[in-house]
Amino acid sequence: MIQIFDVVKMYDGSNPVLDNFSMEITKGEFVFLTGSSGAGKTTILKILFGQEPFEKGQVLVHGLNVGKLTNKNMYTLRRFMGVVFQDYKLLPNKTVFENVSFAQEVIGRDRKTIRFKTWEALKNVGLTPKKDTYPACLSGGEQQRIAIARAMVNEPSIILADEPTGNLDPDISIEILKLFEELNKKGTTIIFATHSQEIIKRGKHRIINLSQGKVVEF
Amino acid sequence: MSYFIQTFISGFRTTLSNILNNKQTFFLSVATITISIFILGLFLMLFSNLNGFLAKLDDQVQLIVYLNDNITSSEREVLEDIISKSPFVKSTKKISKKLAWEEFQSNMSENLKPLLDIKFNPLPASYKIQFHEADSRLIHIRELSEKLNVKKGIESVEYGQEWITKLEKFMFFSRLFFFAMGGLLCFGLILIISNTIRLSIYSRQDEIELMLLIGATPRFVKVPYLLEGMLQGFAGSILALFLIRGLNFYLKDEFQSAIESMSMEFKFIAEPYLFGLVGLSVLVGLLASYISTFQFLRIYK
Repeated sequence: MIQIFDVVKMYDGSNPVLDNFSMEITKGEFVFLTGSSGAGKTTILKILFGQEPFEKGQVLVHGLNVGKLTNKNMYTLRRFMGVVFQDYKLLPNKTVFENVSFAQEVIGRDRKTIRFKTWEALKNVGLTPKKDTYPACLSGGEQQRIAIARAMVNEPSIILADEPTGNLDPDISIEILKLFEELNKKGTTIIFATHSQEIIKRGKHRIINLSQGKVVEF
Repeated sequence: MSYFIQTFISGFRTTLSNILNNKQTFFLSVATITISIFILGLFLMLFSNLNGFLAKLDDQVQLIVYLNDNITSSEREVLEDIISKSPFVKSTKKISKKLAWEEFQSNMSENLKPLLDIKFNPLPASYKIQFHEADSRLIHIRELSEKLNVKKGIESVEYGQEWITKLEKFMFFSRLFFFAMGGLLCFGLILIISNTIRLSIYSRQDEIELMLLIGATPRFVKVPYLLEGMLQGFAGSILALFLIRGLNFYLKDEFQSAIESMSMEFKFIAEPYLFGLVGLSVLVGLLASYISTFQFLRIYK
């Protein structure tokens, strides 16, 4: 489902962030992408959803050659994926409900489906009582759950999560992990970038450990 | 519902929300368009009124061919043949020497009657040629005059060359001025609208970035801003046309009686030009917003 072959990525033109990096993830897998800060976790996720170009190598997602996609057809790749961003990227002027339904509006779903699916996604993350609240009035854990609901609402086959528990306390982090595991049970492939050893131990999933842009251990 | 209609409806909703969020900028931009289209429309109205006035003068233009006294009948036939074969000639009136003298006598003022005592008729016979109404009438008159002037039996050909040439020059420069001014105003408008749209885009930069990251097509992102540009162009031109109509009514009220004696009236801009102005304004809005969104999306992935 996801294949990365010998990818080289440099931000400054000399020191590679990813140095001939390769990995393969099969359909329905749950993978932890780990490593210290600056190891290249976020870069890999950004390359996977086409936000970062790369110098060398090949990236295939669902058979799509990511490096060959142009700005015009990048959306075809992104519609396979749900992304939970490190900084959540919630829209402050929209309510919880509107933030989640926004992801469906942009792909052109009709209003009836949008209402139904949004409600269902909010139920899954336990946020229906707060549907009319604005993100600024919610805790970090709740904001993270909105981001997860938004990522899952279009039923993508892959979810990329960039440090989704980074700013949360341990109890809430475990709750968030469980949410991803439930999605994985339904068949969604999950790539979960984290540097939290506690989460990794708790999860018991395949680990891809990065150091200076290289895989050091599977 | 097709994706296209869905995109359009969603885009329209976003457009309205954009306008509500940036009311001041939107109205400022509409006001600028109104002023520009008002200037352009005003000039168009003056231009078409002037055109009407000149058309009236133009109606009186005719070609007079004065004949030599010793013209032969075959030379006369050649001339008549050329005149009758021209498709632009509406009518031809033959005026003999005798008729010319009689007309001259009847038009002569009492004080100048002693002049009629001369013992011969100094006036030549002539043809007075009227032409069909057409924008290129002056050109047809000139062409026929040049054709006749080289023939035998002609004393002279007259059609008020001097003032017709001046008139043509004036019309040419008026048109040139109109297009130059229109072009400059449109260019200015494109800059203003594209900046307004750019402000609107930057105020929603995070949202647009997110849209692209979660799978929106570039078209989905562009549509609201293109609609906003078009809406600005439309609203600005409609307001401008209302203002010009108001001015037109005022001029009619105040000055119609003064120009009625010349069987003229203050005309409003003709319908095709009205639609043209609105269309131009909408097109300028569209183009300006297209430039802004294109520049923005080029740097965003």
